[in-house]
Amino acid sequence: MFRYFISLCFVFVFVDGFSQEQKKDSLIDTKQDTIIYKSAYGFRLGVDISKPIKAQFDGSYSGFEIVGDYRLSKNWYAAVELGFEEETTQEDFTNSTAKGNYIRLGFNYNTYKNWLDMNNEIFLGYRYGFSIFEQTLNSFTPNVVTGETNSVPYFPSDIITVPQTETGLNAHWSEFVIGFRAETFKNLFVTFSGSYKVLMSVNDQENFKTLFSPGFNRIFEGGTGFGFNYTLTYLIPFQKK
Amino acid sequence: MKKTIVLLGFILLIITSCEKDDFCLQNPVTPNLVITFFDDANRLIPKDVERLSIIALSKTANLITNITTDSIAIPLNSLATETVYKLTMNNVDGATANDVIATFTIKYTPKNDYVSRSCGFRVIFDDVSFSADNSWIKNITPTSTITNIDNQNSAHVQIFH
Repeated sequence: MFRYFISLCFVFVFVDGFSQEQKKDSLIDTKQDTIIYKSAYGFRLGVDISKPIKAQFDGSYSGFEIVGDYRLSKNWYAAVELGFEEETTQEDFTNSTAKGNYIRLGFNYNTYKNWLDMNNEIFLGYRYGFSIFEQTLNSFTPNVVTGETNSVPYFPSDIITVPQTETGLNAHWSEFVIGFRAETFKNLFVTFSGSYKVLMSVNDQENFKTLFSPGFNRIFEGGTGFGFNYTLTYLIPFQKK
Repeated sequence: MKKTIVLLGFILLIITSCEKDDFCLQNPVTPNLVITFFDDANRLIPKDVERLSIIALSKTANLITNITTDSIAIPLNSLATETVYKLTMNNVDGATANDVIATFTIKYTPKNDYVSRSCGFRVIFDDVSFSADNSWIKNITPTSTITNIDNQNSAHVQIFH
């Protein structure tokens, strides 16, 4: 009997462990905190000030853009940009001017978690762009350069200065935008954004090529391009959600 | 704050003045007339022209001076509808007295054709026809009835002498 005393103790301890059960807490339902923090929703309207600045430095460019956006939900915004651009492209052998209007429609997604009462954004967005413009081939010189560069051609060609214009050209493209927006003064926002553009379709001028599209910037062989915007917008709040 | 403004202004300047590298890789852009010389007695055998010099009728400077070859590429005048060349050859010795001169005329309609942003426009020649006076040039045949000159991939005309 005494021999098995310790073993018997062990058995009881074991059994004791098994028989214990966790009792579930049955507390009364705690009340949810009902304070909801509202932020201003509304329509934001503004201008792109990088374009007039660029026009100051670049004599062959002039343009103007209005931007607007509307908050759909906490992190989603619908955005629109519309504007007018005119640029003269001077290449080695051709000189052409394109001018027209464009519109970009899309949405932004804000990835930045704002603290209370702050309305800053780091956003990613997509735009569908569409432009209607006309292009004029102002003058060109046929390229009769042969062989070594810098050697005068045996039969030089003449510059042709009869302008050829084609109206009603259009271009469609997609843009992927990334940007930063900060609220400086109350309801006044400053935004920097950069975009990667992919051309979807463009009409070429007859017997020439469309080299510039308003809203898209220069069109190269690859059909892609970059853009940059610096805008000031003002929020017109008409609802708070 | 000031540093960020400077940095961002710098970035703006760079991005708006960025230009993609675009070079014209075609050379030449406007095609030249390619002529190959063959033996008149045996029309399949190329025959070198000895001491060949070429000058256009309206010019005072030679295009080619004193070379011996069986194929050449010469430019056409894009501002006119015909080009006349004087082809001088000497198959005796280097003395000018033994030079033989032939006049070769090419008639065509020039047309402007757009290539690319960096190459610009080139000129192509339609409705081409050849003629020559019969001094040392015995015969001319356009290769496989070519009527347009828009590339330099192969010879456009064969001259038999």
